[in-house]
Amino acid sequence: MPTTLPTSTHAAATPQAVPERDCLLEFRNIRILYDNAIEAIRDVSIAVPDGGIVALLGSNGAGKSTLLKAMSGILYTEEGVIENGSVRFRGEDVHHLGPDELVRRGIVQVPEGRRVFAALTIDENLQMGGYTRTNAEARERRDRVFALFPRLHERRDQIAGYMSGGEQQMLAIGRALMTDPALLALDEPSLGLAPLIIDRIYEVIVRLRDELKMTVLLVEQNAQRALDIADYGYILETGRVVLDGPSKKLVANEDVQEFYLGISASGRKSLRDVKHYKRRKRWLS
Amino acid sequence: MQYLLQLLISGLAIGAIYGLIAMGFAVIYKSTGLVNFAQGEMTMITAYVAWTISTTVSGNVFVVAIGAILAAVVLGLVIERVVMRPMLGEPVFATVMVTIGLAVILRSAINFIWDAYPHGLDVGMGRGIAHLGGIGVRTGQIAVIVTLLLLLAAIWAFFRYSKIGVAMRAVAADDRTALLMGISAKKVHALAWAASSVISGIGGVFFALSYDLSPAMFQLGLKAFPATILGGLDAVLGSGLGGLLIGITENLAGGYIGSGTKEVAGFAMIIVVLMVRPFGIFGERDIERV
Repeated sequence: MPTTLPTSTHAAATPQAVPERDCLLEFRNIRILYDNAIEAIRDVSIAVPDGGIVALLGSNGAGKSTLLKAMSGILYTEEGVIENGSVRFRGEDVHHLGPDELVRRGIVQVPEGRRVFAALTIDENLQMGGYTRTNAEARERRDRVFALFPRLHERRDQIAGYMSGGEQQMLAIGRALMTDPALLALDEPSLGLAPLIIDRIYEVIVRLRDELKMTVLLVEQNAQRALDIADYGYILETGRVVLDGPSKKLVANEDVQEFYLGISASGRKSLRDVKHYKRRKRWLS
Repeated sequence: MQYLLQLLISGLAIGAIYGLIAMGFAVIYKSTGLVNFAQGEMTMITAYVAWTISTTVSGNVFVVAIGAILAAVVLGLVIERVVMRPMLGEPVFATVMVTIGLAVILRSAINFIWDAYPHGLDVGMGRGIAHLGGIGVRTGQIAVIVTLLLLLAAIWAFFRYSKIGVAMRAVAADDRTALLMGISAKKVHALAWAASSVISGIGGVFFALSYDLSPAMFQLGLKAFPATILGGLDAVLGSGLGGLLIGITENLAGGYIGSGTKEVAGFAMIIVVLMVRPFGIFGERDIERV
């Protein structure tokens, strides 16, 4: 929840602010290189408005995680650099800030594959989420996380590494919520989880938006699920945005149905047909 | 019986010194994932600084202790900032090679700054003999065992209950995720180097107190390393206890089998232990699940 930091009205008053929408986070014409040679992201612009869920879709290697790493300021750990463009948060350029400062300002991500601290207990994992907050704030946040995930409260003294995948995902989300974020980014929260568990996780994401007015950037390969709950969606292919629009429009789009939802007008298609179709569609290459 | 007790007590005393240095290894490994091969050299430098303070400033035990601790903190921080931080993100192998290079430099620094002669560290206590049930024990030996036990308790509490202690374990487990939570890996690494330098430095000062100070003292690091492996590289408390075990084993082997076996006894023991428990007696088995 945004508390003391300037609100979007303040951002609108500054000259560089985005005029049309209340954007919490914005990637502007961003270009990212790895090892100064490999272009992972090519001229991408993405806007995440305040208080909504934005889905970022695409297959493996499309550059989704790279964008999240740029957002969190950890590109440098993989020899990545933002070569051009900017990342703006509340109208302010933040791409030069360190990861700890970004967390303090209210950006947090749940990394791909959950990444709970396996040897630490659930309580200690949550404590680490609240590292940038005072002890009193952290205690209050922890009670809220426990209210959201009662399962974590039951098992709070257990070692995180021994929990099931779904419980670890809950812990990873809870740990991120401990930072008191304005923007929560989730990198493939459904990865490797059973459908029923995915339902639970997605219910929580919707609650975060509706009840806590949190802004969510949802990175997924599972397009159907993500578009179900998202307000707006971007589709990324080999480092470029190839399509974007409100979720309802994206779901109705023929190409999206074809490639991401597996639906087509002429019934099931073979992989050969899909490949052929992809070759015809220039924007997919 | 008398002989056995005598061996056990002097084994515990030297083992406590190994244990302190071994804990120095483990603190760095636990929070940075590195084996610091310059640990013995850092220990030696702290002991030399303590000796310089005792001969130039004051021989008072408190002055020497505080001076040595401060010097160890500075030494640890400087090494972290100047040598190790630029290596952040480089392959672990390269970084460990850097610590080996650092070891050689620090070793020669002793000859540049001080000299190659043996010295005795004298703070007016530690060399007296106390009688425990008919066995003569040097007071310095009792002091080092007590210090080790106190530090073991303090460090256990630190890693278990303090926020920064838990953060050190988190950085060791997954430094990138720790970054995502806003934990500054740099701060954690700096603290680990400073703490490690102090803990092993205390061991070095006690060694100088009970035995003597010479440029060959860096070998204490080689003796303490098996203790770390035995206790588990990631187990700080285990390393301390591992030191005691190595000390006792060495002394018993030296006393009963022959003085030639003293040097190899510790290493023979770690070979056997590692065959049974490759992660050390108190080390953590990796939790594997996807």
